[in-house]
Amino acid sequence: MALSGLDPIRIQVAAGAFASICEEMGAALIRSAHSANIKERRDCSAAIFDPSGEMVMQAEHIPVHLGSMPASVRAVIDREHRQGVSWFLNDPYAGGTHLPDITVVTPAFDATGSLIGFAANRAHHADVGGSRPGSMPADSTRLSDEGVVISPRVLDEASITEVTSRMRQPAQRRADLRAQIAANRLGTTRLAGLADRRGNSDLHLAMAEVIEYAEVRTRALIKEMPDGEHSAQDVLEGRLGDIRLAVTATVTGDSIRFDFSDSSGPDPGNLNCPLAVTESACYFAVRVLTDPDIPASAGAYRPIEVIAPKGSLLNAQAPSAVVAGNVETSSRVADICLMAFGRAAGQGTMNNLTLGNDRFTYYETMGGGQAASPGSAGPSAVHVAMSNTLNTPIEAMEIEFPLLAHEYSVRRDSGGGGQHRGGEGLVREIEALEPMSFALLTERRRHRPPGASGGGAGKCGRNLLSRATQAGYTELEPKDSGDLETGDRLRIETPGGGGFGNG
Amino acid sequence: MAEREQADVILGVDVGGTFTDAVVITDGQVFASKSASTPEDQSVGALTAASEALALAGTDAAQVLVFAHGMTVATNALLEARVADAALVATRGFADLVEIGRQNRPSLYRLEDAPAAALIPPERRFELDERMGPNGLIKAPSIEDLDRVVEAIKQSGVGSVAVCLLHADRFPEHEIALGNRLRERLGRQVHVSLSHEVVGTFREYERAATTEVDAALSPLLSSYLSRLGGRCAGKGLPEPLIMQSSGGLTNLETASRHAALAVLSGPAGGAAAAAMISEAAGEPDLLCFDMGGTSCDVCVIEAGRARETGGRSIAGRPLALPMVDIETVGAGGGSIAWRDAGGALRVGPQSAGAEPGPACYGKGGILPTVTDAHLSLGRLGDRPQLAGGIHLDREAGRAAISALAEELGIDDEVCAAGILKVADTEMVRALRVMTVERGLDPADFALLAFGGAGPLHAASIADELGIERVLVPADGGVFSALGLAAAERRQDEIRTVLMSEEETSPTRLAELIGAADEVSWDIRYRGQSFELPVSTTSTDPKRLRELFEASHEARYGYRDSEAPIELVTVRRRHVTPGPQISLVEQDFPPKNGPESIDLGQATLFLPEGWSASGDRAGLIRMTRVKSL
Repeated sequence: MALSGLDPIRIQVAAGAFASICEEMGAALIRSAHSANIKERRDCSAAIFDPSGEMVMQAEHIPVHLGSMPASVRAVIDREHRQGVSWFLNDPYAGGTHLPDITVVTPAFDATGSLIGFAANRAHHADVGGSRPGSMPADSTRLSDEGVVISPRVLDEASITEVTSRMRQPAQRRADLRAQIAANRLGTTRLAGLADRRGNSDLHLAMAEVIEYAEVRTRALIKEMPDGEHSAQDVLEGRLGDIRLAVTATVTGDSIRFDFSDSSGPDPGNLNCPLAVTESACYFAVRVLTDPDIPASAGAYRPIEVIAPKGSLLNAQAPSAVVAGNVETSSRVADICLMAFGRAAGQGTMNNLTLGNDRFTYYETMGGGQAASPGSAGPSAVHVAMSNTLNTPIEAMEIEFPLLAHEYSVRRDSGGGGQHRGGEGLVREIEALEPMSFALLTERRRHRPPGASGGGAGKCGRNLLSRATQAGYTELEPKDSGDLETGDRLRIETPGGGGFGNG
Repeated sequence: MAEREQADVILGVDVGGTFTDAVVITDGQVFASKSASTPEDQSVGALTAASEALALAGTDAAQVLVFAHGMTVATNALLEARVADAALVATRGFADLVEIGRQNRPSLYRLEDAPAAALIPPERRFELDERMGPNGLIKAPSIEDLDRVVEAIKQSGVGSVAVCLLHADRFPEHEIALGNRLRERLGRQVHVSLSHEVVGTFREYERAATTEVDAALSPLLSSYLSRLGGRCAGKGLPEPLIMQSSGGLTNLETASRHAALAVLSGPAGGAAAAAMISEAAGEPDLLCFDMGGTSCDVCVIEAGRARETGGRSIAGRPLALPMVDIETVGAGGGSIAWRDAGGALRVGPQSAGAEPGPACYGKGGILPTVTDAHLSLGRLGDRPQLAGGIHLDREAGRAAISALAEELGIDDEVCAAGILKVADTEMVRALRVMTVERGLDPADFALLAFGGAGPLHAASIADELGIERVLVPADGGVFSALGLAAAERRQDEIRTVLMSEEETSPTRLAELIGAADEVSWDIRYRGQSFELPVSTTSTDPKRLRELFEASHEARYGYRDSEAPIELVTVRRRHVTPGPQISLVEQDFPPKNGPESIDLGQATLFLPEGWSASGDRAGLIRMTRVKSL
């Protein structure tokens, strides 16, 4: 499909310039933020928008932010915008995803004072005042258990002080929010520079062209996929039992619809997803199935329709708890979207582990087996779907926390067999050196990640507890929490990925 | 600090992908020669080039006081994973550290992309039943277990061993015990790399991966250097000094022992040259831009010194060692232009490389490249051939551009200009991100452009970045070799100290600094997982705190006078300055753009609005005449 009068050189130059702005914002945020979550794990994203709130370009470091930034800008688009006045929010039901992700939106103006767009960035804060340190509680049932809810509001010194005073480590929260403001300031300055050099109308044209271009490329690739209906079902491993996940993906010409109407109703726990998170998982699957280099703009998502009944698991409504929806359910939604198109499933979980007491909080996610692809084996011991954060080094963990590691190894023979083998999971075993509590948010402990086209399933993960006072290990639930005494050990064995093709 | 050397004849030899360059400096005069690189044994080409340069200078090997050498032996071996069979010994339970890495995947959406595979496979990873903790001994290894591991390694028949035990950076006793036993039982022909000697800082994966690289490359590098040393002795040349990734020279023996220190030997020569140029040209702050056929290396000179980093990834593997801070962008003269599914003109990341190369090389390439675009716009002037004797097939180059123009529905000339514009956009984007990541503004710098394609893009990139001044070495080949000859000798030692403020005292600090010429501390507030470097030889704890807090405030916008600080790492450096070299002004008549200027190995394109004139140290200085 040819472009309707778009200039092939101008588009690419404009796309490069917008991408550069987003990448610079991301680099500035990572460089100037204070918490390890942003600096070291890079749990953040940056994007620019046109004056109507359409996303022009995004630089995401983790895929779960893909579809959820536009909702944040939509949440403030109708407010009155002034030079230098930013907005911030984290309310999953008004532009957010889960509470630790705080988004800052800043309007951009040209020299004459006309609105030329928005800069926005999102960062995962180390704490937002939830019921447990780290604000990733395994047992939350209402949004208010998970921390301070920020409805879209003006970000100034007064609001920063008011909000951060209700969170742990308020000095660090303030520093991270200031880093977010500084990153947006860089973005708006760059946009104003473009408007200054190219003229306002040229800038708007370039924004519109980049959005249209992403749409044309996405449609061209979807069109190559055969028309038809594909479906897949699976279950989430809820506290009270399995929760149904089902998708029907329909390719019609150059568009795709993902319909989750057959998925479960709301979860009484915290596995619920706001629609923006469900959309992110669908966009992730489409990028995997088409071309990851298509600019992440509103145009790339126009050919994709996502249907989930209001109030259900995948289109959660207030006041449902959502913290695990972002980290766990989102990965499993991405799984079934890919499974519908004949792909094997990866480990499907981030294996979230939180340990802590009055003195410290330690939060870790663990890699596992990637699914085998139609052409190659699945990589081992990596993050597989909606996350891609780094681990905490064993030495750093032991220096900082009262913990001792006994094993960190590749879990051999856990990947599914087949023409191409699924990736291997890993093993991390940790001993508590003083009394503390633990919380686990994990998946694929009861149901194996399936292979595809005859490939075998990966092994289930296992959460094991060994008491200092007893020999042997007892198996814990996929979502579990409790107390550890000195000398008790937790052993996490993460799932293998599904294989592909008859071996 | 040691005295500056008074050298009569200085020799520098730089081995590149295609050519090996040698310079001889005597009485401030530079004599250069170039010969084909010899990839099978780089020392052959190095000695050939050296002999020719000495002959040109009318002197001989016996007069040479200093011979400095930069090479790509270790880099190439690592990029091609062509390494020695090695074994790894780790703490029990942790043999897979080198495979797990930091558990992130290299590409978010290409699920089949795997992280770089460990150089040492699972069957050659052995575990020692020992444990150090953050406060020292938890479990000592038994004699029986040490013997068991040594015997297993002997049976595996490897020529090299990497040892990385947890917390060995601060408590190396078990590594030392195992190292001694390995050397006793396996003899000197087996290389042993101990993590606390190679790296000396905490974070086990980065330390283990660096030690793994060191063990897997050292046998190769050491046999290359011993061949080179032999050839030099045969010719009557002094023992060569080897350029390390840090940008300083070291002796042959140290370089042979730790190959991990020489992985960026080649590019570091370019950075050393840039630092020398910076002084000679009176431009203390330079953004250096080395664009070749397939990629473009960028580094920063600040206040006359190449910016360094404590570590970076090469070929997907972290190397936790001090090195010149060089970033590589996948854009070069061979980058292929194409039309994507959305109808846009794209350039790269695919490259035609050297074989078949751009269409205009006439070696069978039919896809249009950046070089073909320059050619069809007349930017290569009327030269019949490029460096390396490549004859230009103008017809083939134009035909390739024409085919793409037709596909895009635009004029040939618009297409060629578009290719250059898009390629510039990609490079500018990479340069901007690289500078923002380091807290720098490119507009504060002068641009130093070299490499086969650098001088063609210098002016347009300077325009995009708001840079006013551009320097181009008249002969890019001589440039790197010259940098080697002028480089300083360095020895770095890095140790984790992890010391609280209460434990510091002037006496303790003085002990840690020892006789070092330069000292840098990595300091953090307690509880932070990131440190800031503070350079000072002061032994006053209050001064350290003040410098750290000022740096923290500059970077994060606040200081916390109540919070205790921790000294995490000390970096000590011993320095012997390189020889003083005074160079004569470049003889180059002033020119105004637009004009293409043949520099022999490269072409300089001076667009309208720019002028050029000769400058010191073999440089051409370009200045923007019209403001943007």
